[in-house]
Amino acid sequence: MKRVVSVSLGSSRRDHKVQVALFGEEFEISRQGTDGNFDQAIALLQELDGKVDAIGLGGIDVYLYAGKTRYVVQDGLKLMQAVHKTPVVDGSGLKSTLERETVYFLRQNTDLLPPKTKVLMVSAVDRFGMAEAFTSLDCEVTYGDLIFSAGIPYPISTLEELEEIAHKTLPDMCQLPFHMIYPTGKKQEVQDEEKIKKYGHYYLEAQVIAGDFHLIRRYLPLLKGQTIVTNTTTTEDVAFLREKGAGYLVTTTPEFQGRSFGTNVIEAIMVVLLQKPWPEITPDDYLNLLKQLDLKPRILKLN
Amino acid sequence: MAEHSEITASLRAFQEGYNKNKRLKKMNADWDRVVLVEANDIPSGHTLILRKGELTIQEGSPESPDVKIISDSETLADMFYGDITPTRPYLNGTLKVLGTEDDVVRLDFISLMIWGE
Repeated sequence: MKRVVSVSLGSSRRDHKVQVALFGEEFEISRQGTDGNFDQAIALLQELDGKVDAIGLGGIDVYLYAGKTRYVVQDGLKLMQAVHKTPVVDGSGLKSTLERETVYFLRQNTDLLPPKTKVLMVSAVDRFGMAEAFTSLDCEVTYGDLIFSAGIPYPISTLEELEEIAHKTLPDMCQLPFHMIYPTGKKQEVQDEEKIKKYGHYYLEAQVIAGDFHLIRRYLPLLKGQTIVTNTTTTEDVAFLREKGAGYLVTTTPEFQGRSFGTNVIEAIMVVLLQKPWPEITPDDYLNLLKQLDLKPRILKLN
Repeated sequence: MAEHSEITASLRAFQEGYNKNKRLKKMNADWDRVVLVEANDIPSGHTLILRKGELTIQEGSPESPDVKIISDSETLADMFYGDITPTRPYLNGTLKVLGTEDDVVRLDFISLMIWGE
């Protein structure tokens, strides 16, 4: 039995454990949230180090991308550096491959993403591959990085401007405590009503809302049948989106026993299957494995 | 240690950088704030006023600021001249920014948009 554990800064209410068989190998996959408690996350990572086969870091990014430039989130790096023996990943290695493929899949296999679709990405620097894919398919994309991570009501409409602003600001912003730019712990369980009033219209102007689920959830107004493209969702999240009037839910990661795990979890599983050190794994390795595993996005009609 | 006049000059440079950046003014059009800039090693207080995206500066401390920026005179002058970013002194405690987290992030962002590489 291979053990993969996702250690998350998110709420412990989302903890989950499943067993699945992949390529004839039994995996126990679990998620342990630390309710935004950074020290607890460090302690848990140290405890697991050397005792499990791979670790995913959830509720935080270590690497953000804009164009070809990679920015390192210092809090994420501290978590990663707490682990010395077990492979540890944040999902960013796989995201670029998996999430691009999801966007292409939607164009090729559904009518959810025709050309000129208005897309709101609540944040793009944490999934630049997805942003590039939407743009390459002639979607009209609004990048909400400043709106939803910095509270600045300035929609970015080109990847070039996103890269330019990222270049000026991310080297320093990545040094701030992560909770200042992303909802962690209990903040993931509640919506920010004041900001929903201010920024909810960006959701309503879009046909597709894409990106990190916790950001989407925190500022989500009542929708009118929009499609949500995201990663981690629980059964409760699906019910929440249905109540809020979303039309479809597309999750980039596959469902295991009722929930889609984070990209960090899937990447951790892949690292185990590939049996290569993480720095040596290429996007093609992930792509080939995705094909062999026949992992496809999950598409759920909600309303 | 910097003098009061140096802090004033640095704030003028900051104001100039801000006001010639049309995009930054647009970004902050919704953010009306009165900000105290105070040195803790010399008698020096300034007031930054953001109204409808425009930034003005006044000598002296405001009565009820929304945000307080407090540091030593050297750090304040260096920061508003863009020689250093606010992040490091904020993280090591040299710079205190008293306000909501959103306001702290916004001020950091404005500074980086003016002086960032």
